[in-house]
Amino acid sequence: MDSPSSQESVGFDYLFKLLLIGDSGVGKSSLLLSFTSDSFQDLSPTIGVDFKVKYADIGGKKLKLAIWDTAGQERFRTLTSSYYRGAQGIIMVYDVTRRETFTNLSDIWAKEIDLYSTNQDCIKMLVGNKVDKESERVVMKKEGINFAREYGCLFIECSAKTRLNVQQCFEELVLKILDTPSLLAEGSKVLKKNIFKQKPPQPDTSSSSCC
Amino acid sequence: MWWDAGAPTDSFYQVRPECTDVPKTKFRIKAGKTLSARKWQTAFTPEGYLDIARTLSRIRRGGIHPSIRGEVWEFLLGCYDPKSTFDEREQIRQHRREKYALLKEECRQMFPLIGSGRFLTAPVVTEDGEPVQDPVVLKELGLLPEENGASGGSEMVKEPSGHGPQDKKVIQWKLTLHQIGLDVVRTDRTLEFYEKQENLSKLWDVLAVYAWFDADVGYCQGMSDLCSPMIILLQDEADAFWCFEHLMRRLRGNFRCTESSVGVETQLSNLASITEVIDPKLHQHLETLGGGNYLFAFRMLMVLFRREFSFGDSLYLWEMMWALEYDPYLFSVYEDSKSASEKHKGSKGKPKSMRQFGKYERDNRKNGVNSQAHLPISVFLVASVLENRSSKLLTEARGLDDVVKILNDITGNLDARKACRGAMKLHKKYLKKA
Repeated sequence: MDSPSSQESVGFDYLFKLLLIGDSGVGKSSLLLSFTSDSFQDLSPTIGVDFKVKYADIGGKKLKLAIWDTAGQERFRTLTSSYYRGAQGIIMVYDVTRRETFTNLSDIWAKEIDLYSTNQDCIKMLVGNKVDKESERVVMKKEGINFAREYGCLFIECSAKTRLNVQQCFEELVLKILDTPSLLAEGSKVLKKNIFKQKPPQPDTSSSSCC
Repeated sequence: MWWDAGAPTDSFYQVRPECTDVPKTKFRIKAGKTLSARKWQTAFTPEGYLDIARTLSRIRRGGIHPSIRGEVWEFLLGCYDPKSTFDEREQIRQHRREKYALLKEECRQMFPLIGSGRFLTAPVVTEDGEPVQDPVVLKELGLLPEENGASGGSEMVKEPSGHGPQDKKVIQWKLTLHQIGLDVVRTDRTLEFYEKQENLSKLWDVLAVYAWFDADVGYCQGMSDLCSPMIILLQDEADAFWCFEHLMRRLRGNFRCTESSVGVETQLSNLASITEVIDPKLHQHLETLGGGNYLFAFRMLMVLFRREFSFGDSLYLWEMMWALEYDPYLFSVYEDSKSASEKHKGSKGKPKSMRQFGKYERDNRKNGVNSQAHLPISVFLVASVLENRSSKLLTEARGLDDVVKILNDITGNLDARKACRGAMKLHKKYLKKA
């Protein structure tokens, strides 16, 4: 039997922390479920913060992706803000059928990232979800592209429901992380610390203090 | 029957056939243990006084039969005093129904979709209170000229252009409607019950009226999870509202938010202190992993384990928790706090016997824990879940993500009765040590 634990014991080269943010009801949890278990179902609203893990081979590397999923309601933001810390990738999701979820990206979510992300090089990705509802679309692809260009982030449109572009979405993000030396270093650093569960070697304060 | 494995209860809360991923309910109706409709009826005197002590111990042993859940919950949550007559309660019920009708009418005047049997998921006003000129919204409100008037022109909004500064409270409430709509369509959607539009709009109405009634809390995600069972269990919408409102009296503190915190954080720090006393090693470990704020337990406390149990099992868990926590003064405390001048004080008369308290509450009283300082049993429930996973958490959790993963894995695997027993044991231990 192929249990998740046997999969875990295989080991991995890098561990990356990703974060999903965006307005309530845009499909953050659905996108995550679609990616981690290839399924789509009616999900309850996320309360606070949730989390899923996915093991994946991307760019020839074995990866463990720790993906944090946040609640969209404004009043949870004090709580979700602490999860930006140390994320190598942040996925901003909007719903292509609801204009306000797109405008809130610049009004709210981009500002949240500037405020709370501790990582200068952190890769950001803009995701327009629910393209399966093409007839209800109100945000054009061009607008997404323009926003992404202006804000300097990756962009993709997808459907958590049909799974169109879902794998690509995470893959592109991770490939970009793999391409960024500082993030790569973080991904393996966390790993070592976790595996050996040791305190990092004492910084050379003793040697410097003697001079 | 000489043996009784119990009857399953999932048929009372039918799951849509296409939802195959839903955890099965473990709770079973057991003859001689579960509080049945017959036992419930015989627990009343002819005038209507309820033998609460016997009822509580029944519930603790075997839960409540789904057919009477709603009416029993009304007592457990303190909507009614067991030491009152049928007539007195009927009066209160009628009075409350009228009050709800007034509240709802107030809301309807501000936003005509309330009570119309329909609801919205789109935003209805902008941050500064201007009505959103979204065709979807206008159509629902019957404001588009081409509408063929199925719901009548009598529902015209008075100030569609919304000039003049609106009351801040009204704007706040209207902004909240958006979130309520978004959540209503995602609450318990695996249940057949919510395939009916009228049930969805009932849930929307009750949450909207509550948000107006308790403007300090308004609406916070998670509240739809708490309200949904009331809509299912209590036929009358007003009764469902007041039952929910009484539940919120216990829980509203968790949902009150400031700029920098969510109310439930108080309970999370209580959880931290309990774990520190009960299982210092685990507490230390969690702290090292950066989980000293216990945020990973946020959801369990916010929606009282709704997400860790099947629908049926969470109801069973709730009623056991409330039976254990039961305080016979609850009703008079609630009524007195509403208006000191009201007449219900008579019920306070002579002191209640210990048997009328739930077991958890009894333990508190025996140990002289005053009611101000006392913690809800839910905190001990979480603490016992953590303690049960202690060795796993200590050996396998190397980061906060592992903690959350280990805790997520309990979904569908917990036993409500055992969980309560665990919480009671921990509570005793804590009272001794602390």
